[in-house]
Amino acid sequence: MKKLTTLFLSLFCLSAFVFASGQQETAAPAEKGAETVKPIKIGITKIVSHPALDALEQGAMEVILESYPDAQFDLQNANGDMNTASSIAQKFKSDKVDLAIGIATPTAQALANTLKTTPVLYSAVTDPVDAGLVESYDQGGAYITGISDMTPVKDQIALLASLTEIKTLGHIYSSSEANAVRLAEMAREACAELGIEFIETTVSNSAEVKQATQAIIGKVDGIYISTDNTVVSALSAVSDVASRAGIPIMSADPSSAEENQILIAWGFDYYKMGKAAGRMAVEVLGGKKTSDIPTAYMTSVDDIDLLVNLDLAAQLGITIPADLQKKAATLIKNGEIIKQ
Amino acid sequence: MIEGILVEGLIFGILALGVFISFRILDFPDLTVDGSFPLGAVTAGSCLQAGMHPLLALLLAFIAGGAAGTITAIIHNKLKVPNLLAGILTMTMLYSINIRVLGNRANLPLLKIRTVIDDVMVLTEPHLSYTVSLLLFFLIVFFIIKILLDIFFMTDMGLSMGAMGNNEQMVITLGVNPEAMKIIGLSLSNGLVGLSGALFAQYQGFADVNLGQGIVVSGLAMVMLGEFLIRSNKIYFLTFRVLLGAILFKAIMFYGRYYGYYIHLTPNDLKLITGLLIILSLTISKMKDRDLLKSFRGKK
Repeated sequence: MKKLTTLFLSLFCLSAFVFASGQQETAAPAEKGAETVKPIKIGITKIVSHPALDALEQGAMEVILESYPDAQFDLQNANGDMNTASSIAQKFKSDKVDLAIGIATPTAQALANTLKTTPVLYSAVTDPVDAGLVESYDQGGAYITGISDMTPVKDQIALLASLTEIKTLGHIYSSSEANAVRLAEMAREACAELGIEFIETTVSNSAEVKQATQAIIGKVDGIYISTDNTVVSALSAVSDVASRAGIPIMSADPSSAEENQILIAWGFDYYKMGKAAGRMAVEVLGGKKTSDIPTAYMTSVDDIDLLVNLDLAAQLGITIPADLQKKAATLIKNGEIIKQ
Repeated sequence: MIEGILVEGLIFGILALGVFISFRILDFPDLTVDGSFPLGAVTAGSCLQAGMHPLLALLLAFIAGGAAGTITAIIHNKLKVPNLLAGILTMTMLYSINIRVLGNRANLPLLKIRTVIDDVMVLTEPHLSYTVSLLLFFLIVFFIIKILLDIFFMTDMGLSMGAMGNNEQMVITLGVNPEAMKIIGLSLSNGLVGLSGALFAQYQGFADVNLGQGIVVSGLAMVMLGEFLIRSNKIYFLTFRVLLGAILFKAIMFYGRYYGYYIHLTPNDLKLITGLLIILSLTISKMKDRDLLKSFRGKK
């Protein structure tokens, strides 16, 4: 028994070394009188790894590094698990990070709940008031502010309806994501205003997406996909079913639209959103109060990222007006991805 | 329609076969399934991404699932942990392993990667439509597995495994080692579950670590629905009715989405319906048993 215990303990210590070697080395703070030159510690946590959120993280890091070249980043990913999101927030608290950035609603909520006296920036949160992060859109909280990725849902649906006749619009969203539920409400209202029948179905995890799409595909003229992390991660299942049935998809996430059969994707460039979050982080680290910074929106023309798939349009017999082609940042033509 | 019910029914039929082996033949309520299903998906996904031949990737997914089942059996045998807890422990550990296997990510798209589905399409493209060839392929896969299982359960080892599920004490007195039986049974069961996960990931075009949430309950519902449809104790019927149960379950889920819309039933209620289905099947099976007993007594 004793031998076993010793063995286990030594194994445990060994594994601790192995895992610790994966961590970043922290430089010992150089004590210089009253002023300590301590590298700035920034924790970034995201709910899942997908292209849009990864680009956001990249953009934020680049901007912060321009102002703080020796900043240390602790990059964490909750892999879709709320419990993990909370433990990441606890880790940032015990590491005493100078600033934390939460990418997507659940991770931002976990940070806001845990870090009471550290500035928290949320990004890629659709409705920060609805998510309980701030009191109002016009000003930040005592230690929290950030950037919303509210998409112009009504304009997106109107655009799809202007290209092809849409009597009924299908929408697949995950009922366990606050963002997705809020966007589904907005899509429902937008359809009511535009006189389109709205057919919705929900999923509880990514394994149900394909069947959910098959269940509504026969009843709809088009499909709308919001910035719903669960459905976007299963977008290949949606586009596979839709393209076989000859139904166009309008997506709010351009970064995942290049790999799938999506007619139009209208969203933001998440990389640019990351840069905006980085600029905000630099302001806060420079001493600006979060309560003086209102929630920012990605509304300027430069921030909008439009993708049009001309090959798919030709297949579906839809003509894309020339002015829309001009506006698009990305065109898919003859199997090639053209950035303009 | 055909895809959503029959093809998914066939893929999940393989999962249901695995659940049938652990729950019914071994009488071992094994929750490892929630972890071994995505394990199969991510193993196959990573192998395909590395450019491996799809059939080899499927084989590796089967082996990975089998290894997970072996771990559960060893925890249960050697540490005398109750079977439910052993399964839960493995399932929990597998979550981290699955993320590692995918290279520290939770999701891997397989659209641009050559999968077994693509290989099948290349073979059948000139002759059959996409849906028909999918259906045919999964039908062949399911029946190959089913027939192999039937043969296995006719052998001495297969028979003693079934006997152990019925009465462990009796098998021990006959000189069979129940621990070895559990290891073989659980690794076979979880191997099938992993294979099913690998096929499902390729069918839907992505592998995700969250694929397994609550999948063991779906599998159990399929097994019970099958029992509710056909009553028999012949092994080839037993394995066949698992498939019928899987297809019926998928049909109920599909139409629940399709028509539930009109009676204000949202897809969020499907999990509740799954649970109620299991309870209903159990109740009806129990009642049937009692009727049978009565009819026997009446004859005597």
